[in-house]
Amino acid sequence: MHPEALSALGNLLGDRLRSSLETRICYSYDATGNRFLPDAVAFPVDAEEVRQVVLLANRHRFPVVPRGAGSGFSGGSLPVRGGVVLSTERMDRIVAIDPVNLYAVVEPGVVTENLKEAARKAGLFYPPDPASLKFSTIGGNIAECAGGMCAVKYGVTRDYVLGLEAVLGTGETVRTGVTTAKGVVGYDLTRLLVGSEGTLGIVTRATLRLVPLPQAAATLLALFPGNRASVCAVNAIVAARITPSAMELMDRTAIDCVQAAAPVALPEGTGSALLLEVDGTVESVARETDLLEETCRAGGALAVRRASDAPGRDELWKLRRSISPALRRIAPVKLNEDIVVPRSRLADMFEFLAELAERRRVRIVNFGHAGDGNIHVNILISGTDADETRRAEGAVEEVFRRTVEMGGTISGEHGVGISKAPFLEMEVGPLGGISKAPFLEMEVGPLGVSVMKRLKGCFDPNGILNPGKIFLDEAAVRG
Amino acid sequence: MRDPDLKALTGLCAKCGTCRTVCTLYPERKAEIAVARGKVALVDAALSGEDPDAASIQEALTDCLLCGRCERACPNQVLVEEIVMKGRADLAEEIGIPAWKSVLFGKVMASPAATEAARMAAAAAERLLLAKVPTRSGLHYRFPEGIGGGRTVPELPAKGFIRSLRKREAVSGETMLFVGCVFDHVFPRVGRAAYETVKASGKTVAVFRDAACCGLPAMVSGDRRSASACVEENIRRLRAADPGEIVFPCGSCLLMFRRNVFSLIPRANPLYEDAVFVADRSVDYASFILSSGAVDRLPDPPEGERVGEIGYHDPCHLSGTLGKGPQARELLSRAVGDAFGEMAGADRCCGYGGTFNARDYPTSSRIGENKVSAAARGGTKVVSTACSGCILQMRDMAARVDPSVRVVHIAELVQYAFSGEREGARRR
Ligand SMILES: Cc1cc2nc3c(=O)[nH]c(=O)nc-3n(C[C@H](O)[C@H](O)[C@H](O)COP(=O)(O)OP(=O)(O)OC[C@H]3O[C@@H](n4cnc5c(N)ncnc54)[C@H](O)[C@@H]3O)c2cc1C
Ligand code: SF4
Ligand code: SF4
Ligand code: SF4
Repeated sequence: MHPEALSALGNLLGDRLRSSLETRICYSYDATGNRFLPDAVAFPVDAEEVRQVVLLANRHRFPVVPRGAGSGFSGGSLPVRGGVVLSTERMDRIVAIDPVNLYAVVEPGVVTENLKEAARKAGLFYPPDPASLKFSTIGGNIAECAGGMCAVKYGVTRDYVLGLEAVLGTGETVRTGVTTAKGVVGYDLTRLLVGSEGTLGIVTRATLRLVPLPQAAATLLALFPGNRASVCAVNAIVAARITPSAMELMDRTAIDCVQAAAPVALPEGTGSALLLEVDGTVESVARETDLLEETCRAGGALAVRRASDAPGRDELWKLRRSISPALRRIAPVKLNEDIVVPRSRLADMFEFLAELAERRRVRIVNFGHAGDGNIHVNILISGTDADETRRAEGAVEEVFRRTVEMGGTISGEHGVGISKAPFLEMEVGPLGGISKAPFLEMEVGPLGVSVMKRLKGCFDPNGILNPGKIFLDEAAVRG
Repeated sequence: MRDPDLKALTGLCAKCGTCRTVCTLYPERKAEIAVARGKVALVDAALSGEDPDAASIQEALTDCLLCGRCERACPNQVLVEEIVMKGRADLAEEIGIPAWKSVLFGKVMASPAATEAARMAAAAAERLLLAKVPTRSGLHYRFPEGIGGGRTVPELPAKGFIRSLRKREAVSGETMLFVGCVFDHVFPRVGRAAYETVKASGKTVAVFRDAACCGLPAMVSGDRRSASACVEENIRRLRAADPGEIVFPCGSCLLMFRRNVFSLIPRANPLYEDAVFVADRSVDYASFILSSGAVDRLPDPPEGERVGEIGYHDPCHLSGTLGKGPQARELLSRAVGDAFGEMAGADRCCGYGGTFNARDYPTSSRIGENKVSAAARGGTKVVSTACSGCILQMRDMAARVDPSVRVVHIAELVQYAFSGEREGARRR
């Protein structure tokens, strides 16, 4: 980055601009484990400072990469072309909770769990609950349209964003959306910004929909002999007209992975587990819990555990929440995909994955939001064996093709980002030379990609915001 | 950085960010460099020759309370404390100890040869109002720059606890009491209370008189050589005394003997077996009182009065790392009955962090003030705990935010219970 640009930023932010190597290292990674050093890290405290940073970026042509907690799984917050990482950590105020009109106004750096807690205190509920909710931020959730465990009943982040304030790539501030329950004036810019991975605008404030807090909830862990049995149980539950607020599946390897962090007793022959949750009134929860247990047992569950108090439920949930990081203990590199297929095709997908793992001789761990048909397919490799890496890449490609064939999507919640982009290989070594980006076209078609690129041009004509993400070939500034 | 063990330890971090949720320091700093993930990344970068400035990494590693919360929350069991301590030690070798500490460092205790360092230490100690404390004591590590700086300083008693013991008192016994330097020199009443109540078990009890510092302050400062010297000396003497069990009123000292010792005396060390012997016999104060029968001799606690006014603060190492929180609570319920109540934010770190308090007193006290005022708001009048550092810190903080809050060791409450002097616990 040009020294002049750095000093202009320094004048603007004072000690809230850091460019020591140590700070840059600390903002060079996210949960993908990949690393790219930024030239500096900015810690603005309000929307005006964000705007000033973007204006400077336009003047001096350096990239600005927004970052929440850096918990993303697709490299969205990595400064692949250098420039400034703009951390929202200091913009973490919950501005208002409106119990009458049922919404909250927050700054982007608010940690998801903190909003949920504040809502809970007001007797309200902010449903989105990615497994990273204790550290991921609302800004990051919005930019990735994070889903979560309860998406099957409550939907994903998108369904709770009423309106946004965002700084565009031009340095202009837009306000989108409404604070009312309805609103249909003009294009839905809110929806466009949700899931845009920090490439169209930097969210500086969000108005989020809240719902009444359910009276009660209960959690069940049911252990099955295999994935097919779990999937059948999921379908039986849907057929029984219960809508659990979570239906999470974990295969045997996933369960084994977390035994150290969250031990459970496994009956002989356990091949998969379902974590189920229901919420509602005290009566409905009691009735539905019984019904769920019955359905699971009828579907061949080897054991069912129930918990209705907070600590007990937390303990069961810990099992699920620990999986993803714990995979690191088995293999240093994971190709982490989050495909979605129609629920009716889930069993076929699992069968295909088992066959694929055998045929390509790679280790695949599967877990995820069975209720949504969303599976986290993790291919675990050493990263040092070229042949194994090639086999794994081939497997990912097959998974994607099969997913699209089945009428599914290649990313349910993590977004496109840069994950496994070809240049990663060049810059950080052999990680697997494929990207989701070529598959982007496979899913949305060439015209879809072209319209998306034109939109990007409207929001960010100079390519300031998060260059190198989503579209691989996009021309953009370099720091 | 060179330590080959470090690479294997840092390699386990998945960069997930879970450690951000629990870090004691993060809310103060609001920057990734404060949390475990950042520190691990820095060590990693240094190991892979990326060449960040060693002094700055040292600075980042020193900026940590070693409260262990990140490690306990980590889904990958990344040994963060070990990484931070090893990293500090490695950098201490490479570039020396941070300037703010160097005056007093190391040699103070176990190396009689280091006369120059000891002399300087003693000189500084006088300045520190610690003249009465032997320079070999770990206290000197804790206040390297002097006690001042706005702190409420405990008035040092004329005589330490061990010196006040009569000659024939406690020379040999099946149970050994490791008092720790704070409870010996600064709060001898705690030492005395621990001693008297441990004796109530009916066992013969000896006070470990020639203890070296447990070594924790040196170890966390990256001075592994001094820490090893302390630890080895203690292990040798304790092994020779052949006690049935060794009781620790201070959670930090206990951590040293039960866990950290093995990073200083690994399997290959000839003292390893002795260290295992000592570790196996080292118990926390509350567990000992509960299991030794002393608890059965406690009179029944009074009922119903002043419900919930006595709280318990969980020392990070004792409750968190060593998992002894339930024992302390059980003991308190037996000793003071309904007067014990769960205190607001009981398991939040008090912000002391050993040398952290010396390094960044303003931050340390902000964390501590929040802790004590939350407890007071929740109705706690007496904060009890079982770690010397926590007592030092919370007394200082109580003096700042609410002088009516008293901070005591659980042994003092147990002693009051034995003597029937219950009122004393609350009034004094
Ligand atoms: C253990 C674990 C479990 C997870 N579970 C789930 C899950 O169940 N469901 C799920 O969907 N995801 C999950 N994730 C992925 C990740 O947590 C989510 O994508 C989350 O939304 C990222 O939030 P963040 O604050 O960490 O954002 P970051 O990772 O910092 O950034 C993510 C993206 O958002 C952009 N961004 C951040 N802030 C802003 C802003 N203010 N304005 C514009 N753009 C911005 C960044 O540029 C980047 O493109 C998990 C991650 C981990 C480590
Ligand atoms: S919780 Fe553990 S694995 Fe996750 S980032 Fe922190 S140290 Fe690394
Ligand atoms: S030991 Fe405590 S202060 Fe240090 S990084 Fe871990 S949680 Fe934070
Ligand atoms: S940890 Fe114990 S022995 Fe060591 S300095 Fe502290 S009180 Fe003294």
